[in-house]
Amino acid sequence: MVDVASAPKAPPNAALETAAETAAAPLPTGAGATTPPSTLRRMFRHRGLTIGAFLVGTIIFVALFAPLIVPHDPYAQDLTRRLIPPVWYEKGSWAHIFGTDNLGRDYFSRTLYGAQIALLIGFSVMIVSGFIGSALGLIAGYFGGKVDMVVTFFITTRLAMPVVLVALAVVAMIGSSLFVVIAVLGLLKWDRFAVVMRSATMQVRSQEYVSAAQAAGASTWRIVIGEILPNVMPHLIVVATVEAGSAILLEAALSFLGLGVQPPLPSWGLMISEAKNFMFFSFWLIAIPGTALALLVLGVNLLGDGLRDVFAPGGRS
Amino acid sequence: MLAFAAKRSALALLVAFAVSIIAFTLLRMSGDIAIAIAGEGARSEDIAMVREAYGLDRPLFVQYAEWLFKTLRGDLGQSIFFKTDVATLIMAKLPTTLMLGLFSIMFALALSIPLGVLAAVYAGSIIDRIALTVAVAGQALPNFFFALCLIIVFSIQLRWLPVSGSGTWKHFVMPTIALGYYVTPPIMRLVRAGMMEVLSSDYVRTARAKGLSPASVIFKHALRNALVPVVALTAVQLGFLLGGSIVIETIFALDGLGYLAYQSITHKDFPITQAVLLLLSATYVFLTLLSDLANAWLDPRIRMA
Amino acid sequence: MNFKTCSTALAVALLTATAMPAYAQKAQNTVRFAYDQVPENIDPFFNNVRIGVIIGQHVWDTLVFRDPATGEYKPNLATSWEWIDDRTLEMELREDVTFHNGDAFSADDVVFTLNYVANPDNRSVTQQNVNWIENVEKLGDYKVRITTTKTFPAAIEYLSGPVVIHPGKYYEEVGPQGMNTAAVGSGPFKVVSHDVGRQLVLERNEDYWNENKQVPNIERLIIRFIPDRQTQAAELMSDGLDFIMNVPVDQAEQMGMMPNINVKSGETMRIVFLQMNSLDNTPAEPLKNEKVRQAINHAIDRQTMVEQLVGEGARVIDVICFPAQFGCSDEEATKYEYDPEKARALLEEAGYGNGFSLDIYAYRERQQTEAMVNYLREVGIDANLRFMQYAAFRDANRAGEVAMSHQTWGSFSINDVSANTPVFYKFEADDVNRDEEVRDLLQTGDTSVAADERAEAYKKALGLISQRAYAVPMYSLTSYYATADGLEFQPYPDEIPRFWEMEWK
Repeated sequence: MVDVASAPKAPPNAALETAAETAAAPLPTGAGATTPPSTLRRMFRHRGLTIGAFLVGTIIFVALFAPLIVPHDPYAQDLTRRLIPPVWYEKGSWAHIFGTDNLGRDYFSRTLYGAQIALLIGFSVMIVSGFIGSALGLIAGYFGGKVDMVVTFFITTRLAMPVVLVALAVVAMIGSSLFVVIAVLGLLKWDRFAVVMRSATMQVRSQEYVSAAQAAGASTWRIVIGEILPNVMPHLIVVATVEAGSAILLEAALSFLGLGVQPPLPSWGLMISEAKNFMFFSFWLIAIPGTALALLVLGVNLLGDGLRDVFAPGGRS
Repeated sequence: MLAFAAKRSALALLVAFAVSIIAFTLLRMSGDIAIAIAGEGARSEDIAMVREAYGLDRPLFVQYAEWLFKTLRGDLGQSIFFKTDVATLIMAKLPTTLMLGLFSIMFALALSIPLGVLAAVYAGSIIDRIALTVAVAGQALPNFFFALCLIIVFSIQLRWLPVSGSGTWKHFVMPTIALGYYVTPPIMRLVRAGMMEVLSSDYVRTARAKGLSPASVIFKHALRNALVPVVALTAVQLGFLLGGSIVIETIFALDGLGYLAYQSITHKDFPITQAVLLLLSATYVFLTLLSDLANAWLDPRIRMA
Repeated sequence: MNFKTCSTALAVALLTATAMPAYAQKAQNTVRFAYDQVPENIDPFFNNVRIGVIIGQHVWDTLVFRDPATGEYKPNLATSWEWIDDRTLEMELREDVTFHNGDAFSADDVVFTLNYVANPDNRSVTQQNVNWIENVEKLGDYKVRITTTKTFPAAIEYLSGPVVIHPGKYYEEVGPQGMNTAAVGSGPFKVVSHDVGRQLVLERNEDYWNENKQVPNIERLIIRFIPDRQTQAAELMSDGLDFIMNVPVDQAEQMGMMPNINVKSGETMRIVFLQMNSLDNTPAEPLKNEKVRQAINHAIDRQTMVEQLVGEGARVIDVICFPAQFGCSDEEATKYEYDPEKARALLEEAGYGNGFSLDIYAYRERQQTEAMVNYLREVGIDANLRFMQYAAFRDANRAGEVAMSHQTWGSFSINDVSANTPVFYKFEADDVNRDEEVRDLLQTGDTSVAADERAEAYKKALGLISQRAYAVPMYSLTSYYATADGLEFQPYPDEIPRFWEMEWK
């Protein structure tokens, strides 16, 4: 079914191919494992990448220093000061820059803390799914043959399952919490990692330096870590950023449907869901977290795109 | 070609089986179904009776086999909440979701193909930048947020479109945009990438050199080749759309499969959840099979793999 | 889209917009109503949601009619009734009633309907409404005898509310499923079509016989199922709907300022309380201690919640019943003032000076639950919110998994304490305290025939529940209704909009 020797240019499965197409780029030429200085310089010159890095960096900074920056406790309610508009409205005040929500909590503080949750989710899911997917992809790409068949079958099966539906069902079963959401998303979203890693591994594996290492008698483990991994790393990074963004949006959707993070945690998706009741007359309550989400995912996507362009000389940029 | 088709179909079937097993096990694990079926106020004798009647005390694979045979015959069981035939319920809600999915993918194609072509033809220019920005921005906006904004603008402020329901074509405009917008970027990128590759190929350069007009070059030669992988991607995205319409259907009160699935999950109505999961997976598998076959037919090299 | 001035822009745009579409509905004499929950079956005995009760009142009739203004019981399908003994009720029936399908109403219909739904094998989901009926027999073409399972003075109340009468022959043929797809009753509206899960179209019953209700002024009532409240509001604001209920407080107040929308609020019979599991196997050990429960009673500022979160017309309650219900008295209750200091002191005394944590379950008005969680947090109790559908919560509660829950109870609009307090304190499935003394008092209240005996027993029971702090009685709820301008409408505390009374001005 899957011919190991055939170049990944014509993989036999449409889904795998298209998933790989949209995520991966042609390999960097050369057998070296380190980033040549010109790549770094290219990074700084790439406008999209710098914007993305700036956005993500700012949000990371905010998340890390939130406890020091916030003017109020994001969980402290004051029922007598509900739904105060942000400072740029007539009725707003500098005491609450972003106004207050339906329970009188300072929205600016909540938005800042929301960054922690968004990043935590994006990062954790990326790590869990990245680990699972990369391991599977590496194995499939390196060993080929029956192993590849089995892994490909896994991947195709996983692709056939609608993620949102399965996530909802599982969460409804176990009860939702931050941990459950991360676990469920992590266990579901490894497919792209697997596909790209498999594809990239197959390409690298056919390179000369790998056969040289094999001929020299190096152990499989060493070949994987020493030769393959460094060369597929760029692909991994690109996919990781895309998946992080996607995980953040998915958690927001789950929270929106009531099966994600539970209140009073200030997840941006949950904040949008809670603000739905007020969307017509207090639009800022959904606009602010919605914009924050969009900016974060935008930053992550730009970063990913930029990295892909930078790692692919003569590529699609 | 035939051998290829046969192998592909066998694989597709296998995947469908695998998914059905997963769906079945997942839901059986989620709680004691006997209690759910026996319903409110059931005494333990009632529950025991239900358990026996539905054969819930037999080993799992026996239950699975029975469920599978019934499903293949079209008997998807009874909804615990609505107390009607699952198959009937699904058939009633399916058209809405199908329409939503088709409209969304058409919208996505209508937006992404021209944008992708333009971006490729004017690669590196401001047009390309704009197209890429649209692409990137489209993927960053949470679709439920976008949907709510659409409602505020088009229904409340402008009164152009109805908010909810599925009566007329107008009811589908906003849901289509909200859903289709999200899958536009990947298609657009693929079109752009494919076009750029083809446009710089020898074949096209020769055509240009021969003096053929740019328009004819683009449309007759480049586009057709560039679109081959797009077909595959479209199929894949359609599969995603059908699975991801839950949020949109809920917001716009479109009584489709996505909303049915959501209700079934919150009501712990296992037969429906199982059936919808299986249906969506089967559709996806079928669509990818079709696109594999289409690809293989268009590009003979693939058949050899 | 200009985020900043959205609200002002919205207001301006709407003020200058023409209000055309409302005329269309007026001209057609139709009311379009939306509700969020879909009933699994519109047969009133086979669904548990409010919309089912509403549809029940519009498509069917009951034996007795309770005048909402005076509380008096008047003849309806039954012209007169008499208690022959403690457990036997004989009723004479009207002779000129016809069902929507032409069948004439007679004793057979009462006999079949009541026997069918009271039979546990038929699995009516509103057991509480029917399981007091032991048997119904026909004494004549227009006379029946109802035997109750035990002394049940509230029988008349139930027969005037949720217990409707189906056409016997038809019901026997089609059963509850058939009733769902093609409902037939004798009420002020006939069902024209039922697109399950989407909409129900009702039409005026021109031949309606009943002066208690009336032949409706409007010709058509279209009930649409729209799960999302915001979508409902959006529809109303863009003239796609004429009537919505359960509008969130904040939104209602704002919508009322729009020229094409009227907002009305009414107190309902629904009470809110925090239920605490004090049984031996409670998931939260501290709740077994009375001082802890009393501390929790002191910890929550109910008055502020009522003023800020609940709405116009709501009031703080001190006992577990609705003030207007027969038997509801707070004379012997302890009134717990909002006093976080005292709460902390009590917790300290009980040995929980460092606080403790537990799960709090809720299934509606999450905003209020979050406020409660916050108050608890301020006295050191860490309550983890678990929000879910009512059915899932109810199952967990009955399985003893729930330590604390934000509960509401509407008593099915029955105006008697027997429909309320005993549900939670008489050793039934939802009782998580099981106090024998309370149970016995409630039993006396439920089964005595003399009104003052009943009232006395209930008063004592409610007092004990309060003194022992088994729950935290919070407040009554108000319901907000929003209608298109021009629709005349009056809200009632039973949360049942009476469409047969409404008309377009």
